[in-house]
Amino acid sequence: MSNPPASIPRRASVPFRLRAPSGRVVAVLLVGLVLAGWETAVTLLQTPVYLVPGPSAIVRYLAAHWQTLLAAGGVTLAEAMTGLVLGTAVGLSLAVLITFWARLEQGVLSLAILVKSTPVIAIAPILTIWLGFGPAPKVVVTALLTFFPVLVNALSGFRDVDEAIVEYLRSLDASPREIFWYARWPGARPYLFAALKVVTPLAMIAAVVAEWMGASSGLGRQMWLAYANLNMPGLFAAVFVLTILSTSLYQGVMRLEGRLSWEEIGEQ
Amino acid sequence: MNGVDVQFRNVTQVFGALVALREVELAVQPGAFVSIVGPSGCGKSTLLRLAAGLLTPSAGEALLGGRPPQQLRAQKQIGWMAQRPALLPWRTVRQNVLLPQQLTMNNEQLTINDSQFIIHYSPDELLKLVGLFEFADAYPHTLSGGMQQRAALARMLAIGASLWLMDEPFAALDELTRESLGGELLALWRQFRPTVLWVTHHLAEAVRLSDRIILLSPRPGMICGDIPVTLPHPRDDTAPAFQDVLRRARSILQAEGNGRV
Repeated sequence: MSNPPASIPRRASVPFRLRAPSGRVVAVLLVGLVLAGWETAVTLLQTPVYLVPGPSAIVRYLAAHWQTLLAAGGVTLAEAMTGLVLGTAVGLSLAVLITFWARLEQGVLSLAILVKSTPVIAIAPILTIWLGFGPAPKVVVTALLTFFPVLVNALSGFRDVDEAIVEYLRSLDASPREIFWYARWPGARPYLFAALKVVTPLAMIAAVVAEWMGASSGLGRQMWLAYANLNMPGLFAAVFVLTILSTSLYQGVMRLEGRLSWEEIGEQ
Repeated sequence: MNGVDVQFRNVTQVFGALVALREVELAVQPGAFVSIVGPSGCGKSTLLRLAAGLLTPSAGEALLGGRPPQQLRAQKQIGWMAQRPALLPWRTVRQNVLLPQQLTMNNEQLTINDSQFIIHYSPDELLKLVGLFEFADAYPHTLSGGMQQRAALARMLAIGASLWLMDEPFAALDELTRESLGGELLALWRQFRPTVLWVTHHLAEAVRLSDRIILLSPRPGMICGDIPVTLPHPRDDTAPAFQDVLRRARSILQAEGNGRV
């Protein structure tokens, strides 16, 4: 057995000014640089605020209307998460179903692809007519957009199981259910997280797009109102809130994955 | 725990147009260590799958203790080790050794008698037995190939199986590890006395470990030799008697395979 080195010695004695800046510092600097360039360009070119507002105008808007935006973000977040949970549950259930009864695969997948290929932009207004201006159509649109990546990834994950493990379990007379529980489900973890990373930001976008089609509240409605009034700082502020929410969700998924992973554990 | 007797009665196994095994007739005494040797693709592994009841023969029958293998398998009395250790990578070594116990507990039809062995030997005791106790909390991917197979060995011991089906378990290991693990396996076999069917294409290994060597001819697999090995343990592979058995087995295989061994 080859023991990994206990720890790579840090260059602790190197003076601060010689150390390369960390990735985080670089990222902050880069974002700051872009914002500064943006502000300068807008000021120098005297771009009208109804075309492109500078970052300072957006910040002023955020400061003045943070309660409205926060409430709107909360509504959109709730819709997106409900739809995501629903879509993930449907995608996972279908994947489990196909794993146990391979005969269902063609039928279920054809249907799923049919649903997936229908442009959501086209059905969102219909759903709004059917289900009203409340959260229901947004949840449905989000679920429709999110179930497919989960289904496909989960199915691949459940199938990509080490045959040697399956054979070993069968030698112990394990039932298909036990094989699923002890081998397929835990083995599918990377696939499920890959799906979640795609689907979580997608859920926010889906909810916002559904809100554009008619909503009584939410970030999408805020964006629509701002757009209708040529209130560019308001529009950008809503986009900013949306971006922050999506990024945080993504980070959350990454963190959860890191916490559940066994790959790095034990390699002291 | 005592070994179970294994019988193949006129077993033929066909996969589509391919005849993997033809008319295999074999009776193995309880507690015997039998090697099955032959070139690649001669149906050695198929023979093990038939013994485990993972396959049902196209013709003839395989019997364990006079009963269909599925019965012994349902009692979780069949130990299985393959070339790859097949440990669950998301479980520590100890949790892996616990797996058969969890599977046993899931099955209400198994009485406490069947799982007595598991209660008798704790996972930690089993890990001490295979020299892996210090690594009980390690994950398999942090262990060497030899240690992973030790863990698989402990997991197999955990069920107190009366039959060990071993499909080249040490084939992927280096020569030294392979020899030392072979020695330890013999010691464990003497301690627990199960029947062992040991598949290999490594003749010297078969002579070193087993008390009987079954030779299989290439496709379709048929028994072409049955050599008893009565040398005392530990066996010295440079001794003339050892070389003699080796030479006999090799000449049979070469004659059968036209040198394609």
